[in-house]
Amino acid sequence: MNQLLEIKDFSVTYVNKSKKVYAVKNVNLKINKGDSLGIVGESGSGKSTLAMALLRLLPEKNTQITGKANFIGKDLVQLNQKELKNIRWNELAVVFQKSMNALSPVHRIGPQIEDIYRVHKPNASKEEIFSRITYLLRLVNLSERVYTLYPHELSGGMLQRVSIAISLVHNPKLLIMDEATTALDVVTQGQILDEIVKMEQTLDVTRIMITHDISVVAASCNKIAVMYAGEFMEIGYVKDVLKNPKHPYTRGLLSSFPSLKGEKLKLTGISGYLPNLSVKQEGCIFAPRCQQATEKCKQEKPLGVEMNENTVWCHLYSSGGELINEDQKPVYKD
Amino acid sequence: MKKYVTRRVFMGLLTIFVVFTINFIIIRLAPGDPISTIMGKDNDDPILRTALEEKYGFDKPMITQYAIYLKNALTGDLGISIIYNKEVMAMITERIVPTLLLVLTAAILAVIIGTLMGMYAAKNEGSKIDVIFSGAAYIFNSMPAFWLGLILIIIFSSVLGLLPSYGMINTRDAHTGFDYILDVIVHMVLPVCTLVLVEIPIYFRIAKSSILQVTNEDFIVTLRATGMSERKIFNKYILRNAILPTITIFGISLAYLITGVALIETVFAWPGTGSLMLTAINQRDYPTLMGIYLIMSISVAVVMVLVDIVYATFDPRIRF
Ligand SMILES: Nc1ncnc2c1ncn2[C@@H]1O[C@H](COP(=O)(O)OP(=O)(O)OP(=O)(O)O)[C@@H](O)[C@H]1O
Ligand code: SF4
Ligand SMILES: [Mg+2]
Repeated sequence: MNQLLEIKDFSVTYVNKSKKVYAVKNVNLKINKGDSLGIVGESGSGKSTLAMALLRLLPEKNTQITGKANFIGKDLVQLNQKELKNIRWNELAVVFQKSMNALSPVHRIGPQIEDIYRVHKPNASKEEIFSRITYLLRLVNLSERVYTLYPHELSGGMLQRVSIAISLVHNPKLLIMDEATTALDVVTQGQILDEIVKMEQTLDVTRIMITHDISVVAASCNKIAVMYAGEFMEIGYVKDVLKNPKHPYTRGLLSSFPSLKGEKLKLTGISGYLPNLSVKQEGCIFAPRCQQATEKCKQEKPLGVEMNENTVWCHLYSSGGELINEDQKPVYKD
Repeated sequence: MKKYVTRRVFMGLLTIFVVFTINFIIIRLAPGDPISTIMGKDNDDPILRTALEEKYGFDKPMITQYAIYLKNALTGDLGISIIYNKEVMAMITERIVPTLLLVLTAAILAVIIGTLMGMYAAKNEGSKIDVIFSGAAYIFNSMPAFWLGLILIIIFSSVLGLLPSYGMINTRDAHTGFDYILDVIVHMVLPVCTLVLVEIPIYFRIAKSSILQVTNEDFIVTLRATGMSERKIFNKYILRNAILPTITIFGISLAYLITGVALIETVFAWPGTGSLMLTAINQRDYPTLMGIYLIMSISVAVVMVLVDIVYATFDPRIRF
């Protein structure tokens, strides 16, 4: 079987004293082995929440997770602590958004990575660990010197690279990178993305890349999922979606970025704000900000429409995937 | 690290010097006059006054007095007590040991017990024991130490008759060797308990809140995500990070104890510098008072320097 992760009706709700925040709502997603999926969406749309929930790292006290997340034959939502421990880092690793603080400030970097290595290989020899770690540090363009340094002696970008190296310690099957390259300069980012892509092919790693930066997705992913207010708007191959975005939100999002090829485009963006996530909204979640919204949009939630392997959640598309109204061509192609 | 230590030691010496000077000035400026105290209230014999002033050097200008005092202090001569007519240095050396014994024992017990309680409460946050600990910490923290000391005396000495309430040894029945040590320990129980009880809440609270805070740090989430066991995360990573504020607080509170223990020494008639200081204040015994302040400021400076060095070995971000 080719499928690595299948998320079904997956919802995450933060339960605070006074209110609930529906951060991720009934999302569905399939990831095949070898895929690299970029998840994009504006700040607060639930990308990190989705990742943290898949890793079961949200405090159980105040979060509810429902639905299924089948990962190599096991449902991540149902795993007990022992099963989780076995999967973590061995098969499912992550680079966190805040990698500045991803390491203990009072321990040297090398020994911390050693400890992480020993979690799943308690009997590994010192030399084995050292050679593995220095190999990974070189992979992310860091010198061996980093081994004996403390986190505060590194720059933000260097720490991000350390975090990336740590995530690869056990050759995970699925790697989630949450804004993992944001602190890097364009050159380093490009180098590291190249390394990651190369390594994926040899090591058989599947990757989920959470980012604000569509150029990162364009450079390193084959699929893209556009997320808005806790729901997916459009999922498909990068080559299709970036060239020919179907969903009004995707179009808006793309037009918020300067063209990838450097053409001069009008930056239209999207006016308005994310909806309040603590109330459940009828109809399409994007309707309040969508210029093409109709009465139907405000009442009925759009179902996913499949169009050559891509999926769009929007009433504009009939079941055949045709644009219903020809006036509503992508706004950004002017 | 070497540079850091050198700088801290230098700063410590400078602090002592500044405190020394300020003390000298403040004490001279304070109202009251030691010569009158010695001569007695109604005696106003000008010849006796001049003679006494000459003996203690009060006839010279302030700056000369200061220079002489500084020179002597550097050689370990702190002058002669106006009231006891004894060498100040000898009096203080005799009394500093009981004070340090009391203060260090109490501080070390309090930091160990308080921190362990804080660790337990943080691990079991919201549990019954946490609630009890926190409540007790609140109560003991708001209790004046001398009052607590009196209550302990009433309960354990007067009512139950279990422990001695004053002094450091049983003067009527002097012991030697091991029995002497035992005797001192028995006498220490109540004053040490008093100090420990009021100090525990400080360490309890700082340990608990610091552990809870570190537990929510991002790097703990990283370690959890790697599948590391909670035990290892706690013992190696949380504790090591959470202990930092405790070190700082230990320094501050130890320094505070060294100077603040006087009242407790009085309550328990403990033969330390505290009771000597209170007498010296009442009698305007300048040489003694200045000697005590000097020794205290040296003790505080030494404690601070040591604590800073310990802190630096625990926190790499400090060393530069
Ligand atoms: N602990 C929490 N309790 C309540 N609400 C939360 C909590 N954490 C996040 N949220 C809310 O959940 C929503 C999704 O947050 P999330 O961090 O997943 O966004 P994101 O897409 O990763 O954003 P960014 O791109 O800025 O990282 C936000 O509206 C946020 O306010
Ligand atoms: S369903 Fe309607 S409101 Fe939602 S994105 Fe499509 S057109 Fe806009
Ligand atoms: Mg995020």
